[in-house]
Amino acid sequence: QAIATRSSGSSILVSPRQKGNPILTNLRSFAWEYSDIPADYVLGLTTCALFLSLKYHRLHPEYIYNRIKSLQGKYNLRVLLTMVDIGNHEDSLRELSKTSLVNNVTVILCWSAAEAARYLELYKSFEHANASAIRGTESKGYAEKMVEFVTVPRSINKTDAVSLVSAFSSIRAAVNARPEEIAVVGGWGEKKVRRWCGVVDEPFRVRK
Amino acid sequence: MSSATEQQPVKLSLPLKYQQEIFQELRQRDELVIIARGLGLLRLVTNLLHSYDAAGNNLILLVGADDRENGWIGEALAEHAAISKAPRARGLSVVNTDVMSVGTREKMYAQGGIFSITSRILVVDLLTSLLDPETITGLVVLHADKIVATSLEAFILRIYRQKNKVGFLKAFSDNPEPFTTGFAPLSTMMRNLFLRNVTLWPRFQVVVAQSLEGKKKAEVIELEVPMSESMRFIQNAIMECVEVSIAELKKSNSGMEMEDWNVDSALHKQFDMVIRRQLDPVWHRVSWKTKQIVNDLTVLRGMLHTLLTYDAVTFNRHLDTILAAHSPPPGSTKQNQSPWLFLDAAHTIFDTAKRRVYTGKALQAGAENIDALHPVLEEQPKWAVLAEVMEEIDRDLYFNPVLRDDSNGTILIMCTDTAQCRQLREYLQNMHVHTNKDEEEDEDEKSDHEPSAAFMMRRKLREYLIWKKDFSKISATLFAENQNALNGSSNQRAASGGSFRGKPPANKRRRVRGGGGVGSAPSRAANGSILAAEDKPLDVATLISEIQPTEVEAAQKEEIVADPLDDMEDYYHLYDTQDLVVVHAYDGDMDEHILEEIKPKYIIMYEPDTSFVRRIEVYRSSHNDRNVRVYFLYYGGSVEEQRYLSSVRREKDAFTKLIKEKATMSITLTTDAHGVEDPQEAFLRTINTRIAGGGRLAATAQPPRVVVDVREFRSSLPSLLHGRSMVIVPCMLTVGDYILSPNICVERKSIKDLISSFKDGRLYNQAETMLQYYKSPMLLIEFDQNKSFTLEPFADLSGSLSSMSSPNASSDLQSKLVLLTLAFPKLRIIWSSSPFQTAEIFESLKTQEAEPDPIAAVRVGLEGGQRAEDQTFNREPQDMLRVVPGVTGKNIKNLILDMGSLKDVANASVEELEPVVGKEAGRQIHRFFNKSVLEG
Repeated sequence: QAIATRSSGSSILVSPRQKGNPILTNLRSFAWEYSDIPADYVLGLTTCALFLSLKYHRLHPEYIYNRIKSLQGKYNLRVLLTMVDIGNHEDSLRELSKTSLVNNVTVILCWSAAEAARYLELYKSFEHANASAIRGTESKGYAEKMVEFVTVPRSINKTDAVSLVSAFSSIRAAVNARPEEIAVVGGWGEKKVRRWCGVVDEPFRVRK
Repeated sequence: MSSATEQQPVKLSLPLKYQQEIFQELRQRDELVIIARGLGLLRLVTNLLHSYDAAGNNLILLVGADDRENGWIGEALAEHAAISKAPRARGLSVVNTDVMSVGTREKMYAQGGIFSITSRILVVDLLTSLLDPETITGLVVLHADKIVATSLEAFILRIYRQKNKVGFLKAFSDNPEPFTTGFAPLSTMMRNLFLRNVTLWPRFQVVVAQSLEGKKKAEVIELEVPMSESMRFIQNAIMECVEVSIAELKKSNSGMEMEDWNVDSALHKQFDMVIRRQLDPVWHRVSWKTKQIVNDLTVLRGMLHTLLTYDAVTFNRHLDTILAAHSPPPGSTKQNQSPWLFLDAAHTIFDTAKRRVYTGKALQAGAENIDALHPVLEEQPKWAVLAEVMEEIDRDLYFNPVLRDDSNGTILIMCTDTAQCRQLREYLQNMHVHTNKDEEEDEDEKSDHEPSAAFMMRRKLREYLIWKKDFSKISATLFAENQNALNGSSNQRAASGGSFRGKPPANKRRRVRGGGGVGSAPSRAANGSILAAEDKPLDVATLISEIQPTEVEAAQKEEIVADPLDDMEDYYHLYDTQDLVVVHAYDGDMDEHILEEIKPKYIIMYEPDTSFVRRIEVYRSSHNDRNVRVYFLYYGGSVEEQRYLSSVRREKDAFTKLIKEKATMSITLTTDAHGVEDPQEAFLRTINTRIAGGGRLAATAQPPRVVVDVREFRSSLPSLLHGRSMVIVPCMLTVGDYILSPNICVERKSIKDLISSFKDGRLYNQAETMLQYYKSPMLLIEFDQNKSFTLEPFADLSGSLSSMSSPNASSDLQSKLVLLTLAFPKLRIIWSSSPFQTAEIFESLKTQEAEPDPIAAVRVGLEGGQRAEDQTFNREPQDMLRVVPGVTGKNIKNLILDMGSLKDVANASVEELEPVVGKEAGRQIHRFFNKSVLEG
């Protein structure tokens, strides 16, 4: 199949080697086209993916090394999309971890063709996305933040958070409250009171 | 009360036969003691420790004790030392995180004595040889039931036994249940503990039974109190909600084993924990809804308990809070709400709870139908019984004024928690105060002996109504934000534009519907879930006026909630112990102290508690001259009764199983800790495993080494690495968790950590710094041993996953991983299905790499002037700080270094925060802490 290699920005490029791979039938949200590429999938200008089924890897352990070699150091992010389709995967995965270190590939595990397809789609769709979603800078409302703040110590739940802050009217007052005052709040048993007061008073730094 | 070993001048306090027998056994050999709860485990431990302590010149470690046990043992040892006048006894020294520097610790260890050391510190000290294992005289392990093969305590025992074959090792547990689950649990446990003997002391053991059931039996009067009708309604309704929730769980997690998920097991004390434990292996895969239902079960279980303990008003108030916390923002669909809120049973719960407090009475006033509210204030049935019992005791004391024995005339009332204590105290104080003066005058002095809680309940109702007014405002401000946001986006109708600020549109809708005659009952939202009932202000006003304090009430002084010790000098004087009533909460082993100190003649067990019954038995049998009469109160047919019975039964079953296993248990002598270590293995240990096949002969001087962050000792990985004969160097690392070589740095994340650190952006920062300092940074995603090794959600979600357009497309784990690898193409990911595999992977990664340098690893990431010692942080307060708006991955460091604790941050003014985090962030932080939910 000789299809001209247009660098089509919006579609996933698929190597003809992947023909018949069930991933392709699951690849629905993005356009894809066959193209003559060294990798199995090209997911952006600097991103490519190799697909490996562990079942196949056990039969042909040398296969993946040849494929990595054929990439010739191209691409900035080289994903080794590994499908875990065998039970005793320990040895193979250990070997792949070592490989990823030596050959500069990033191992991503998936457990089904649908999940594999989803990873491919995600890589393509986030090609130009910034990382703000994982930098913890999402904005949230006060109530959500408040509940999240109060429920960090274990065993304190959402109801407790609401009852605590409503009893003291502000988080600051709740932080400064004495144990006896908190114990009066409904639902706050001794354990929770002790934990809350402990955390709030605990120094950030352990003094040595 | 001295007895036991004759050879020793040590005085012990073990009056009962079984206690002495256990003690003798323990002195003779190493063993695991499993004893029924309440039979005085700690007393045994302290006596044992004292017998060693008095001998002096030793180093004994106490492993696994918590703070309270440390307190108890320390006190008891000092007491013993004073009694037996042992000059060489040193008492207990506690070593925990926040006090000791390395230097002082070393000095203390050199001096010897008995130490209770936090496991995390102990393991580091053993590994760094700050505490030489060979110098240890012996180890005493508490809570042996918690020791599993991968736990820190097991690691400690392994290091200890590897280097020290002669020291003693004794383990204790008073919790037999964990020893009965799994395959051959007892022998596994014995292997973990490096012990070969186990002795079991259930309550039905012959010696124990003889000791406790002699002539000196305690006099017990059981009182079954029927629940009131409305309480029974509520309880049944809650059970129905539980049943439906469990059915829902079963439906959405069809792959799970769930035969024992039924309402019967729901009666047990911790059925929600059981379900949680069962779901735990797949927790990262279950749907959001399942998680919510599991949370609901916890809430429902709490309700079962509070129904019996809280008074009607407090219970209703508690329900209000629960409802507010669970009510979703309007506009959301039925799918993301707790299913139990849709049930009729939920309606029954809220409705009945309210009717226990006040009801609406329809007054026909012309055409207008005015609902007037009047208080009902149902009392807890146990209160009246308690008052009766008190009266009976009074009479008893009156007729037999001379005490026949050593005990005081004190009445001890035991209940579950301090809130309950407070309630009972208030009730006993006020039960003879009458709310209506005329009534009191009418009646004779004699007949006004009818105790009632009306005074207390009226006061509570007044408080409740005031609180309720504020609370509706609070829940409006808390949840209005969501509502505004939602309304802004989804329904841009002109009417609900800006005019409803602070008053959510939902309120309006509610009022319109409520006017239709629903009255005070909770109404249903448009989508069918329950909405908080809104009473008309007029009605509330009448209700308030009706419960205005009467003269008599006003005369009573307010209950002091705050610490009464503030003005101690004014009030302090010694009470005569003869006529004291002491209300106390069950407090585990501490209850023994209470009994010994108070010497009560009458004990009222307001709630059943298995171990306390035994404690009374032990107390009674230990003292010849003290009579005790016990009143045992419980609600008939209630969850409380069921729980009590099932806890007794489960303990008995557990012991029976243990006895069976002990009889057939095989002990493998080769794994015996005292045995000689296989010489070849000892040789191999010195060989560097990086030299593959045939490299055995070329043993290098340097064994493989891994630098591990001290905080990582919470996980089992260091222990397993040690088990694979790598040298663990505990260090305080700023960057990374494990340093495998000068180039390789690994950040370990369990699935739970991974999710949370994606959420708050911590992982992003960690990846950034690792890349800055190391050539090959790696992220280790470690699954749990028993958890399923996959990230895929269960089938019910996969349909929505494949469509990219769904709103949660960017929120799930996979997409975040993708973002991470796109942001850091150099970051490698290691996938490991268990800590065991991680250890193997580490081994293979280390081959052909140089050994890491601990000193260099510690220095990495420290800025000029910072010392490694400054870098130990407490985790929880930091996690909380990270949630605060305005706090970022960058400025959190400054905050932690400049501010002492969360309290300081909360109390800091904008001006104080500004130099630390900058103006905008400072303002945000200040606003977060000081925002008043009352003002909105």
